[in-house]
Amino acid sequence: MTAVQTHMDPAVRESTVAVERRRGGLGAALRFEVRKLRAQYRGWAVLAGAVLAPIPIVVIINGQSRPPKDTLFGRFATDNGFALTLLILGFATQWVLPLLTAIVAGDIFASEDQHGTWKTVLTRSTSRAQIFWAKTLTACGFAVLVLTLLAASTIASSLLIVGHQPLTGLSGQTIGAGTALQLVTASWATTLAPTLGFTCLAIVLSVWFRNPAVGIATPVVLGMVMVLIGGLGGIEIIRPLLLTTSFEAWHGLFTQPRFTGPLVEGLLVSAAWSVLSLGAAFAIVRRRDITGG
Amino acid sequence: MTPTLAVDATGVTKNFGPVRAVDEITVQVAAGEVYGVLGPNGAGKTTFLRMLFGLIRPDCGSIRVFDKSWDQAGVGVLDGVAGFIESPRFYPYLTGRANLEGLALLDGGTRAGLIKEVLDIVDLTDRADRKVGGYSYGMRQRLGVAASLLREPKLLVLDEPANGLDPAGIRDMRALVKRLAASGLTVLLSSHDMGEVEEICDNVTILNRGSVAFHGTIAQLRTMAPDPGYLLATTDDRRALALAEHHHGVDVSLDPDAALVVTGRRSEVSAFVAALMRADVELLGFTETQTPLEALFFMLTDDTRPTSAHRSNQAQEALR
Ligand SMILES: Nc1ncnc2c1ncn2[C@@H]1O[C@H](COP(=O)(O)OP(=O)(O)OP(=O)(O)O)[C@@H](O)[C@H]1O
Ligand SMILES: [Mg+2]
Repeated sequence: MTAVQTHMDPAVRESTVAVERRRGGLGAALRFEVRKLRAQYRGWAVLAGAVLAPIPIVVIINGQSRPPKDTLFGRFATDNGFALTLLILGFATQWVLPLLTAIVAGDIFASEDQHGTWKTVLTRSTSRAQIFWAKTLTACGFAVLVLTLLAASTIASSLLIVGHQPLTGLSGQTIGAGTALQLVTASWATTLAPTLGFTCLAIVLSVWFRNPAVGIATPVVLGMVMVLIGGLGGIEIIRPLLLTTSFEAWHGLFTQPRFTGPLVEGLLVSAAWSVLSLGAAFAIVRRRDITGG
Repeated sequence: MTPTLAVDATGVTKNFGPVRAVDEITVQVAAGEVYGVLGPNGAGKTTFLRMLFGLIRPDCGSIRVFDKSWDQAGVGVLDGVAGFIESPRFYPYLTGRANLEGLALLDGGTRAGLIKEVLDIVDLTDRADRKVGGYSYGMRQRLGVAASLLREPKLLVLDEPANGLDPAGIRDMRALVKRLAASGLTVLLSSHDMGEVEEICDNVTILNRGSVAFHGTIAQLRTMAPDPGYLLATTDDRRALALAEHHHGVDVSLDPDAALVVTGRRSEVSAFVAALMRADVELLGFTETQTPLEALFFMLTDDTRPTSAHRSNQAQEALR
């Protein structure tokens, strides 16, 4: 260590009155979170997976001699690109979307515990609330990005490899290619709300358990459990309240006539899950003692 | 007008379940001084400093930093404060420089060139563009100092800054703290090493099991210190023991390891040694076993009784 230079302004140094300084605020915290995410391999791997993985899946299903008839839109999947992207959408909502979002959201708080860096960021000039929202916005932004890339890649590769013939809807009606593209895009878009619901769920788990592995794996497991519960009979009251039910709300877009009730319901249910999760996570982050690190 | 205290913590208590980590301690640090919080492992030093930084919430008592409290000012309490708790931690996947740049963002920006300056101060310029994951312990410690200086603080809070450093690292760290203090910075540091506190600090609070065992100046501490102790090896320990009978002011006993244990004021001990020489008892070895302050530190922290005479509010007096 070499000589100390005159890095302190004597006027400031000598004053004994309370000091005021500039503070970073939410924007600065957000920039730091994005930088940290960009410096990590995992985020890039997820994005690359979202873009590249649909291509071989489309190629493989397209090459099958017998289409997967027992799944929604499965019987048309080998000769209709729209049907294929909807088949993949149905699959993605089983556990892929919860996983993709949780890889970042389930880690973004817990990794501070893992690296012992809570004390590093909380002893600067940014409040716990600002750090919380910066992380939450980063995780949600990442969820939007990964869903967009996955949807775009799936739709583009399905239409280019399988084709864009008119689609046969769930009521047996024929849907023209133009309308089908709109509906398919809208279907993917409707999964944003429950995907963000899973993002918030991963956040609260990550905050609660302070462990990235738990934060990433638990939302996926919970999603699968919800799918299982949703498949049981005699639970008509609970089913609409499950986050995974919102993932199926797009089915109504392909019937004749369309029904949009589940879409509104799904939006409300996802919002409720998100608000409750974030509320709990925020309360924990605000109150907790940082004793580790 | 009384000048603002840099730190004014009164009656601060913190329990972790059944464990009382900090028990109604009062610590007042005047602006510009170097203040030591000294205590053995588990004394509550880290817990106290964490409360100062708002990392943990005290169960009761009040903490004001430059006259601001967490209740009123939120994170604004930390305006002008920097430092680190235990060993500093960084993001291992970012370079040293990128870590500092990110923290500077959270600080609301820094003036141009400051990152380079602080990296220079801690001698990390060459390694700044390597990932922190590959840094040694000492390098991380230095990066912690750099990250603190980046805030251009008026109060620097360091929790056992020399912990885990090699002798050269300890020397450099102490020298740096002294230079920073000389430049007008208020320093609050914790330590378990009496020698370190004696070397660097003006005032000290000794903590033991969460409570204040002593608080005052180093000079006051010296007046309370017991006589130093020495180990003597001689050619004729029996004779030396006999001579000691007639020698007032020194207390001599025979150690099981066949060395003489001598306690007494320095002048008396040297007079005794001279008497040995005159009696043809040759001296084979002479070692100081404990400095007086170390001995006092052990006395204060080995038992649980606080020396109540010294619990008066000497920081207040020191300010007048
Ligand atoms: N998170 C925690 N949970 C339970 N007990 C704790 C926790 N943190 C500290 N303690 C207890 O509080 C007491 C004070 O601990 P603290 O870490 O403040 O001591 P310290 O003076 O910093 O010790 P050291 O010199 O070892 O760093 C100890 O008895 C410790 O066991
Ligand atoms: Mg400690």
